[in-house]
Amino acid sequence: MADAVVVPQVQPVRPALQFLKIIPGVLLLGVVGYAGKLLEQNVGKYAKAHHWTFPNIEYVLWAILIGLAISNTVGIPQIFRAGVATYEFWLKAGIVLLGSRFLLGDVLKLGVPSLALVLIEIAFAIAFMTLLGRAFNLKPKLTTLLAVGSAVCGVSAIIATKGAIDADDEDSSFAIAAILALGALSLFTFPLIGHALHLTDHAYGVWSGLAVDNTAEAAAAGALYSDAAGKLAVLTKTTRNALIGFVVLAYAIYWASKGQAQVIGNKATFLWQKFPKFVLGFLLISLLATLAVFNKEQIGALANLSRWAFLLTFAGVGLRTNFRELAKQGLKPFAVGAIGEVLIAVFTLGLVYGAQRVFHW
Amino acid sequence: MSNTNGEVLASSKRRGLSLDGWAVLLAFALAALVRAGVFKHVPW
Repeated sequence: MADAVVVPQVQPVRPALQFLKIIPGVLLLGVVGYAGKLLEQNVGKYAKAHHWTFPNIEYVLWAILIGLAISNTVGIPQIFRAGVATYEFWLKAGIVLLGSRFLLGDVLKLGVPSLALVLIEIAFAIAFMTLLGRAFNLKPKLTTLLAVGSAVCGVSAIIATKGAIDADDEDSSFAIAAILALGALSLFTFPLIGHALHLTDHAYGVWSGLAVDNTAEAAAAGALYSDAAGKLAVLTKTTRNALIGFVVLAYAIYWASKGQAQVIGNKATFLWQKFPKFVLGFLLISLLATLAVFNKEQIGALANLSRWAFLLTFAGVGLRTNFRELAKQGLKPFAVGAIGEVLIAVFTLGLVYGAQRVFHW
Repeated sequence: MSNTNGEVLASSKRRGLSLDGWAVLLAFALAALVRAGVFKHVPW
């Protein structure tokens, strides 16, 4: 799917028409996601009834696999593309609703150690990707985009940085392709590594949130391990996302000082513009849950609404990933990304092991 | 800033709310409906 790696261009479209355009794709997300849920429920039963040994595969993986199969065989017809691209919208709505399952005290208790780990991860990832980009002779702005993508939050960070440092569309496409391809690989490798190392749900969730770049893939990698790991992965990744503005601002100032990007006027306004607002939504709904605005049944209902929103997201992760299109973007940025991601994964795993001892996870 | 970014900024000003903003709005609208008892039970 070509739009997997093309930087979005906004075209003036009437809101009503835009709404109608997304309906087929959203329905496709729903059908693929629900098919994943049905397969999870029925394949295990069928295998058991026939005395087969078959692993219990979660709906998350089924939805991603069905999406990947469609995207990489018949492709996504034009009529569905606008709706499939809404998967990030459902992800953000799902994260806000997930806030109801965290009391504010828990957010602080879990978020403060996560913030410390996130700060170390960002510093390491930026330093390492910059060195790697130089060693492979990548263009400096492409190196910046890869560094931000792997340090903070994948595609959103790359798009935000592209605008701030006046990077080329081509560089952004390379960086997005590398991050998406590596994110797809992490979906399959992270749960296997986690199980092999017997990581606890807490440790695995924090690790996924620290090391997987795109928020959708981080949520999926966490949910593939367990529900609890999924919650922790989203919380840690959301902490990372909250820092996007600071990292983009630092790079914008750096490139402006070299005369290769516009000077940032009001830095507070810039930070507010880049700050992901869904983080505030998550905190606000967590505050409402802490103040007992919702009763137990209502929190259960909100948690299920969050699961439905994530179901659409996971279907979208598979549907928007086309390996042929990603492969066309060139080997060098992918190689830099891959080497960097492996080292960041190893480094963050070490961080999580250390934190596990300190915080007794 | 390049043309594309100018267009994006102009367009987002026209629409008023970002993707994040709409996602937060939807989530709070759903939470309000659950709180008001319109959705008593959401199956999974």
